Amino acid sequence: MSGFTVTIKDLRFKYADRYRRSNFELVVDNFTTSGCAAVMGENGSGKTTLGKLVAGILRPAFGCVFYNDADIATLSLGEIGRQVGYLFQEPSRQIFAPKPLEEIAMPLELRGMPKEEANEKAAEMLEKFELSHIKESVTFTLSRGEKQRLAIAAAMVMQPKYFVLDEPTTGLDKARRQILADTLKILQADGMGILLISHDMGFVEMMGATVHQMKGGRFVDA
Amino acid sequence: MLSPKTDPRVIFLLVIFFSTLGILIRTDVVAMAGLLALSLIFSALLGVQLRRLFGRIKRLMQIMVLVTLMRSFFAPSGIILLALGDVPILTSGGIAMGVLVALRLILFIIGAAMLTVYPARALIQAMVQMKMPYEMAYMVSIGIRFVPQFAQEMQDSLTALQLRGVEVKKLKLRKRLGLYSYLLLPTLVSSLQQAKELAMSMEMRGFRALPQRTSYFTLRLTGLDIAKMVGVLAMAGIVSFVTFNHNFFEMIMSVL
Repeated sequence: MSGFTVTIKDLRFKYADRYRRSNFELVVDNFTTSGCAAVMGENGSGKTTLGKLVAGILRPAFGCVFYNDADIATLSLGEIGRQVGYLFQEPSRQIFAPKPLEEIAMPLELRGMPKEEANEKAAEMLEKFELSHIKESVTFTLSRGEKQRLAIAAAMVMQPKYFVLDEPTTGLDKARRQILADTLKILQADGMGILLISHDMGFVEMMGATVHQMKGGRFVDA
Repeated sequence: MLSPKTDPRVIFLLVIFFSTLGILIRTDVVAMAGLLALSLIFSALLGVQLRRLFGRIKRLMQIMVLVTLMRSFFAPSGIILLALGDVPILTSGGIAMGVLVALRLILFIIGAAMLTVYPARALIQAMVQMKMPYEMAYMVSIGIRFVPQFAQEMQDSLTALQLRGVEVKKLKLRKRLGLYSYLLLPTLVSSLQQAKELAMSMEMRGFRALPQRTSYFTLRLTGLDIAKMVGVLAMAGIVSFVTFNHNFFEMIMSVL
């Protein structure tokens, strides 16, 4: 079981009018999770919004999100990123570098790691996610499945204590879903907590995650 | 007076006036500030949400400060306020030029904001009725439509990078500038891909299937609109005369 706990208390979140989702409100009175949890529910139920609130991308108007006992309102995104990884629903949005190796190594270098060491770590991750054959390809021309694996590898290399994955199996075939599940299970055994946002019941079952259902911005199993 | 019911061609004329004069004023900060004040009055009359506009301008403040410092450094003139040995770092003339550039940038943003009070369809029709080829008018409207999306994509990329533990604000300027070039790349690639997909989708739906396009929705210039256009042209003439005729004030004073 992960030692990293995420707690949400008395949270209320509404999008600003400019997002044209002014009727939607996410309401979470009390939610605590550690280990592997999955949030499921129909489109527009608030799963991605919840994931973004947990990762500090969105900030609530009322209520708090805690990592263990620390309120994340006081943390910058960079500080959150040292503890929590996030996989976007659309992997293209989190791939910046023109080459996969550079994509993984670049944030490590920006954090002060020597170039050679960063490249070595990046090569290891590419190997682990079966991406070595495309390490010199242009990232923007990769298939969706390859981009998905690259984005996961890039997030994993930071060794987060908690990982929020928004629809991680989109674009992955059966074999690669299995590889992803196995990799996540190894990391979970090492103490990493996981929050899966998914429609893929098969994958959620494969991960042995605790399932939480959402509807209309609220947990319905609470 | 002006309102969102005014024909968009009147506003096009107004925006052309503001942006042209904004480019032509090269040294006079006071004239640029006056022009900016005038543009704010017109945008308020048009119903532009000034609070949101100021929010956007606020986000550009860092760039404006940078431009001010660069202009001070590369185009020094006037009193030297700060120097490193014999090299001037900050001069009064440089600051004035920097402020001028910043005001010009704000003026362009306000000009663009004035057009956003109209639906894209009305803007395209206005451009077509001003004899601009439909394809070009449509291209401009698509460009405008995608601006918020690209801004969101850049923001998402920056967020994703920070979530990899990179403290962007704590990076040195050289590294930070390099980082921004990284952030531009996915947005650029995404825009090219979207343009390609959009073009294919439009072709599939018969865009340009026939050489002549007709439109159910057309704009009609009323007498009031024409009067407003004349008013804008008169204002353009007066403001230009006051701005560029340096003897104007002396002439007024001598008459008084």
